[in-house]
Amino acid sequence: MSDDNQITLTINDQKVVVDKGTSIIEAAKQSGIEVPHFCYHKRLSTPANCRMCLVEIKGAPKAMPSCYTMVGQDMEVYTNSELAQNSQKGVMELMLINHPLDCPICDQAGECDLQDMAVSYGSDRTHFKEEKRAVPDKNLGPLIRTVMTRCIHCTRCIRFATEVAGVPEMCATGRGENMQVGTYVEKALESELSGNMIDLCPVGALCSKPYAFTARPWELEHTDSVDVMDGIGSNIRIFHRGGKVMRIDPVECEDINEEWISDTARFSYDGLNRSRLTTPLRRKGKSLEACGWPQAFDAIKKAAGKASKPDAIAGLAGDMFSAEDLYSFNAFMKTTLKTDNVDARTDGSTMTGKHRCKYVFNSGIKGIDKADFILIVGANPRLEAPVLNARIRKNVLSKRLQVAVVGAPCDLTYPTMHSENTAIILDQIASGEHPFAKQLEDAKNPMIIVGAAATLARKDAPQIMYRLYTIADQYRVVNKDWHGFNVLQQKPGRIAALDLAVYPEEKGKDTAGILKALADKKIELLVLYGESDIPPESLKGAKTTIFIGSHLSPYAEVADIILPAAAYTEKTALWMNTEGRAQESKKAVAPPMQAKEDWKIFRALSAEIADPLPFDTQSQLRALIVKRAPVFENLNTFVPPKWESFGLAGHILDNAFEQPVRSFYKTNEIMRASQVMTECQDLADARADVNAKQRKVG
Amino acid sequence: MSVKQLHTLSVEDKIFKNLDGSDDWHIKGYEKRGGYKGLDKILKTAPKDIIEQLKASALRGRGGAGFPTGMKWSFMPPVEEKPNYLVVNADESEPGTCKDRDILLYDPHTLVEGIIIGCHSLGAKTCYVYVRGEYIDEADHLQKAIDEAYEAGFLGKNILKTKVDVDIHVHTGAGAYICGEETALLESLEGKKGQPRMKPPFPAGAGLYGCPTTINNVETVAQVPPILKKGVKWWTQFGRPNNHGTKIFSISGAVNKPCNVEAPMSIPLKTLIEEHAGGVIGGWDNLLAVIPGGSSTPMLSAIQADTILMDFDALREVGTGLGTAAVIVMNKETDILAVMTRISRFYKHESCGQCTPCREGVGWVWRMMERLSHGDGEIEELDQLFKVTKKVEGHTICAFADGAMWPVQGVLKHFRPLFEAEINKAKKKSKQNNTAKSA
Ligand code: SF4
Ligand code: SF4
Repeated sequence: MSDDNQITLTINDQKVVVDKGTSIIEAAKQSGIEVPHFCYHKRLSTPANCRMCLVEIKGAPKAMPSCYTMVGQDMEVYTNSELAQNSQKGVMELMLINHPLDCPICDQAGECDLQDMAVSYGSDRTHFKEEKRAVPDKNLGPLIRTVMTRCIHCTRCIRFATEVAGVPEMCATGRGENMQVGTYVEKALESELSGNMIDLCPVGALCSKPYAFTARPWELEHTDSVDVMDGIGSNIRIFHRGGKVMRIDPVECEDINEEWISDTARFSYDGLNRSRLTTPLRRKGKSLEACGWPQAFDAIKKAAGKASKPDAIAGLAGDMFSAEDLYSFNAFMKTTLKTDNVDARTDGSTMTGKHRCKYVFNSGIKGIDKADFILIVGANPRLEAPVLNARIRKNVLSKRLQVAVVGAPCDLTYPTMHSENTAIILDQIASGEHPFAKQLEDAKNPMIIVGAAATLARKDAPQIMYRLYTIADQYRVVNKDWHGFNVLQQKPGRIAALDLAVYPEEKGKDTAGILKALADKKIELLVLYGESDIPPESLKGAKTTIFIGSHLSPYAEVADIILPAAAYTEKTALWMNTEGRAQESKKAVAPPMQAKEDWKIFRALSAEIADPLPFDTQSQLRALIVKRAPVFENLNTFVPPKWESFGLAGHILDNAFEQPVRSFYKTNEIMRASQVMTECQDLADARADVNAKQRKVG
Repeated sequence: MSVKQLHTLSVEDKIFKNLDGSDDWHIKGYEKRGGYKGLDKILKTAPKDIIEQLKASALRGRGGAGFPTGMKWSFMPPVEEKPNYLVVNADESEPGTCKDRDILLYDPHTLVEGIIIGCHSLGAKTCYVYVRGEYIDEADHLQKAIDEAYEAGFLGKNILKTKVDVDIHVHTGAGAYICGEETALLESLEGKKGQPRMKPPFPAGAGLYGCPTTINNVETVAQVPPILKKGVKWWTQFGRPNNHGTKIFSISGAVNKPCNVEAPMSIPLKTLIEEHAGGVIGGWDNLLAVIPGGSSTPMLSAIQADTILMDFDALREVGTGLGTAAVIVMNKETDILAVMTRISRFYKHESCGQCTPCREGVGWVWRMMERLSHGDGEIEELDQLFKVTKKVEGHTICAFADGAMWPVQGVLKHFRPLFEAEINKAKKKSKQNNTAKSA
């Protein structure tokens, strides 16, 4: 049976059938044959410059680079013939002559491609008697430590910065043996994805600065988990030693993060060990003092008993919570404390969990690969989901995906068309007046990406959503084979909160109502679960305020009782990403000292105050969660929800969309506690100042 | 087939009649020497026919590789969405080579006329001439010649009412040898770092800015008009089959009269040196070796030099090449180890650095040459050196690395005893020193 798109060849006399257009190196990989390489990377362009992957092709006059050479019908390839082996050995020797071989003091040692390849394909001695080259190190900012003498000039970092991150700041200057890899101008990289260059660098030239000299890879244990620094749920591997998180790397996941993660996901982990709440605290006059769990519970029980009526009790939840956290908090508020004054939408959004299609990324992140036109409404994907933005960029560059933006001005690293920044543009698109309408119409797979942060908290959000629904309907953004209506959630807990109805379900007060009641001194017991967008000043006024969270926060000043909870690396839990895909994070380390996993806190507290909540184990809790929202049942699968109408007819306000993210490196309490993120934010702010000044001068 | 063995060309037969700069290089002088005559007729000839004539003439590229020009031009696709480009490589940097320099300086209109015809034949409306950065006067003359041609109506829109449009842009390099490699030249022209590209795609498919592009050497392009005007027959009377035509030889080194001279192809090397360059200093018997085609071509021994014919095929048969036809003559007074070490240093300096073997290898080879040519090392290291050249050769993106290794391989092959003598001498000296010290 012959298929036009299949090619049959032999590699080391083994018959291999692969798709047309496959490179020899990939074909070899598919059949389990490893070809040594350095510069080749499947997600970057192929310069074929390291020359390590040379193989013999029968009939070719010399050894050919297997990364660049495509398979051909009946080709006979040898990766281990004398010619191939001599080529590989020779290149390896040349690669090493100027490499410092300082493995004993190199952070890469133990997970270094050059070490591995040298052992497998190199020679055990060199003939090099001249002096080795030394290269001055470069300063790439607070995240990446450079030892440029180790650089083997594979140009992966340059290609990543130019092709994926879209910040063409890395380069090779000089030529021949004087070629140096670095930035054109010495400065920190202006990318939210720069840490990925550390993974890409096959040697120890680019290493993590915060991780430098803190551990050896063979001492580390690792746990695969899910990142929650933004809403896409990048797959990560948490490396830890002795109960401390030492490093975070990405795990390949084609559907979500390919193999990249943002710098916030990678480098904010020092925030897990700083400003942590490690014991329950109780207010004594102006100060807070440590107390035991029983004392804290007792105080809460008393405060709850004193509350005159359920309506005098209220609870607000932040955005860093898993399904277990949210479900147990919701149940604690609504069942134990019997109040409906509960809200996890502290940004003021009034959207509910009805019609799931209106708050998730319906096409799936992978859907971006199919889109040919994207209308971005009130979002800045570069800052709200950098990895997702890189995916858009990839498609813009490779197949002329076009992107239009209605929203605050932003540089997304690829060409975009910007309309005036006001929401009423949507009216014009709906009526067909605006040029974007034509583009939506002409596109085969049009996509809309709505930024939750800048859109859904607006007063006219229901009207905007209605208009977007009309647009989607009218321009076939949603049709039989294509579901291109997407909401981008930056907040990792928001979708689960909507799925699990962590908002008033009967006549209770929502965030605005609670804040008003607080101001009117009508709230007697306030439960603050985690930090949120609300400034602490607005949270004053309750007789008793309880704060439950992982980090010491500004909310401590209004709190009377504080309970220490777990951070995302410290609990096995379900997270709903922006696509509405459930994923499980795994407990890598234990919560610090007296801190406890959140659901256990609510379960224990409920038993103190009234009947215990109906779950004793996490699996019982999971069963309840699935019962309430069946979407949590199937992990890691993505099922687009049914397309239903949503929104409210009415006028859209002639208001601009706000910048969805003000401080990229400071979007949650972990990042705020992180020193590394603070440094990054300071740099970003300084840069913004300079840019603003330049704009003024210009 | 009887091959007329011409050794000198009559003024009539010379293509570069003002190569020595004795006459006026401006348009007036060029027209007086017969230039631009019959151009309109050629521009009315169908490109297809022009290419056929070039194929019949067996004109081969004069830049080094010797690829048949007619065939190269036939690879260009018809103009569709994207424009076709002609790019002229005037980044003449191969040590020993200075022929394009004199063309640009003293007969720039030969190139301009060649470009007009070239563009017409290739369906290109635009030509870029990439001139070596150090060629300041040369670029200036070329630009003046272009301006004159515009003024005379030989360039611009609807040239000589033939509906042919041609524009020429002169672009100067920044002093990198590697930009003479055609794809590195394109990169540089596009404003990027001059580094050779991987092939495929070949420039004829996706060259400058991703458009179909033909890249030719200055001399090649300038030779096209006379071939078309005087006919294939005239052209093929010079040189052996498959090597026809005239060629500029740049003769330098240990000769009495170093020069650029246009001579028939397949001229015996001995005749070339003796008749045109005033002979070897100290006489033919004082000859040590000859580099026949620019520094990257392996050298010929004196014995080989005695009988060799200067054309592509003859030189290839003896393991070297015609290259740019830059003949570097070395006599017995030449310190050949020093010369080859210097050439090695040149390549170390000029590698673009993207391929591992080249980036690391050329420096290693030069350092070994530096040491061993002074006797600092062991005799076994000579074998080592040869092995290193073999680890580099054939393992890189472009032919630069091969060209950097061949001269070293050549000197090891022909003059190994000289290295050994140096090493032994140094050993003896250090022994003496040691005994002197201990005494
Ligand atoms: S720094 Fe690392 S990734 Fe960048 S070129 Fe050097 S070896 Fe490659
Ligand atoms: S062989 Fe040398 S000059 Fe050519 S591309 Fe490779 S490194 Fe550059």
